[in-house]
Amino acid sequence: MLSSLSSKPPTQQLLQSADLVSQGAEAAIYKAYLRQFPTSGHGVDDAAFEASEPVLLKHRFHKHYRHPSLDASLTRQRIAGEARALMRCMRSGVTVPGIRMVDVNEGVLGIEWIDGKSVRQLLPGGAELDEINELEEVDEIHENGAADPIGDYGVSGGRTVHMLIGLYSSSVDALMNMIGVEIAKMHLADIIHGDLTTSNMMLRKQTSDLVLIDFGLAYHSTLVEDKAVDLYVLERAFASTHPDSEPLFSEVLNAYEKRMGKRWLPIKKRLDDVRLRGRKRSMVG
Amino acid sequence: METYYYSQFNHAVVHVALFDDVTNAAAIRSRIVQAARNLGVDGNTEREAVNFAFIDARLISSSLHLQTAIYQALLSEAQGQLRTKTVHSEILWTMNPTNNITEAIRRYGVSDESTTLVVVRVDVSDTPDLQRRMCDIVQGCMVPFQALGQMTDWSIIKKHYKLYSESALKEVQGNLDRERSIIDNIVVSSVAMKNVMT
Ligand SMILES: Nc1ncnc2c1ncn2[C@@H]1O[C@H](COP(=O)(O)OP(=O)(O)OP(=O)(O)O)[C@@H](O)[C@H]1O
Ligand SMILES: [Mg+2]
Repeated sequence: MLSSLSSKPPTQQLLQSADLVSQGAEAAIYKAYLRQFPTSGHGVDDAAFEASEPVLLKHRFHKHYRHPSLDASLTRQRIAGEARALMRCMRSGVTVPGIRMVDVNEGVLGIEWIDGKSVRQLLPGGAELDEINELEEVDEIHENGAADPIGDYGVSGGRTVHMLIGLYSSSVDALMNMIGVEIAKMHLADIIHGDLTTSNMMLRKQTSDLVLIDFGLAYHSTLVEDKAVDLYVLERAFASTHPDSEPLFSEVLNAYEKRMGKRWLPIKKRLDDVRLRGRKRSMVG
Repeated sequence: METYYYSQFNHAVVHVALFDDVTNAAAIRSRIVQAARNLGVDGNTEREAVNFAFIDARLISSSLHLQTAIYQALLSEAQGQLRTKTVHSEILWTMNPTNNITEAIRRYGVSDESTTLVVVRVDVSDTPDLQRRMCDIVQGCMVPFQALGQMTDWSIIKKHYKLYSESALKEVQGNLDRERSIIDNIVVSSVAMKNVMT
């Protein structure tokens, strides 16, 4: 019935009407609504006017240098892999976005839109230029004494984090703690994220949940080595993005350690190895 | 009754209604069965009369759950990849975690014991009179969708999705609201990713 008209495939139309959020080498990210509001009001009750929740669409577009059928099957695998990793996380109690729509033919994964900011944007050094204004606005609120009780947070080294984060009713310590706990829950379920950075975690505005995102490189592994490397990648991301991040990352590890219990020690030992390897490599390279 | 609009599906219009205190579930079910068997001209009229998805409301965890199943069914139809005969039966199929069509219809479709029903109708354009046509078939009380929350049977849903020893649920033991929102999230996500689940 609905397929009889020869117009563009539905998901392509959906992408056309969506707002581009970011354009990467592998995928384009959009904000979209899966259905629309009625155009005329007659004969429709109020419920129909309720806003539907936005979704995030991750479009893995065609790679023209790849053979079309190989490209299609790789795209399918990537999308299936990301969706399955999200599902495993959900069942294991790791806070991740829910899945809302999957179209493997068009290479699109639709997930719950998280209303919030990435951890990268919330920590010093991570804000993009266009976000600085927003930060300053928050500072003003604080100076006027109208700030929330959390106010500014002293992070060691005398650096003060001006609290955009205050709006999210969370302190930096609490935030680092949540990061450690979520990663531990994920590793306890033998899920390796594969791309842990402060842009791949978000703080949800309404509930102050820490949400892990971007499972495009995630995989299943029980190996201590894979978990240690996962942590090391995050440590490097902290160091390269946020100045004086050592105390921040050790707060993450503290919370991780508590949650991992007896599983921590072998991972810690391996993390030390991985760090050493990393240093040697950078001395050679 | 609620109405959903989808411009990306050639402006499909979907009507959904929730019924409470349904007294003729067995009759509805046998009408559907009869209509499918009757191949004559009056069969066509009868098939059109029952051309809806009748879903047991106990198995629906939220409006989002229903909307997600509708969306994936619309997508399969538009791509010529329906696994069942119609977009309406596809909604039921999409809701069931296994690939067994008979099981999906037995579990999620109207049964003789159903007393709460969600009725769904997918159309290519706005069709007049749908509310009256739904009420012609279902003897019961059309209620706002907010009432769905009191109808959901979480224990059956947990059984179908094998949600017993999940650490997600252990962690929130005793907090019913949290537990239900986690189950809903898993159910909605499972429906959305059914095509790539295995
Ligand atoms: N569920 C979500 N809700 C809201 N925003 C999101 C969500 N997921 C991702 N984003 C935003 O979109 C950005 C890119 O998403 P994601 O990391 O999943 O894709 P990516 O292809 O890896 O992009 P990048 O290379 O920029 O990391 C994120 O850094 C985040 O700011
Ligand atoms: Mg990313």
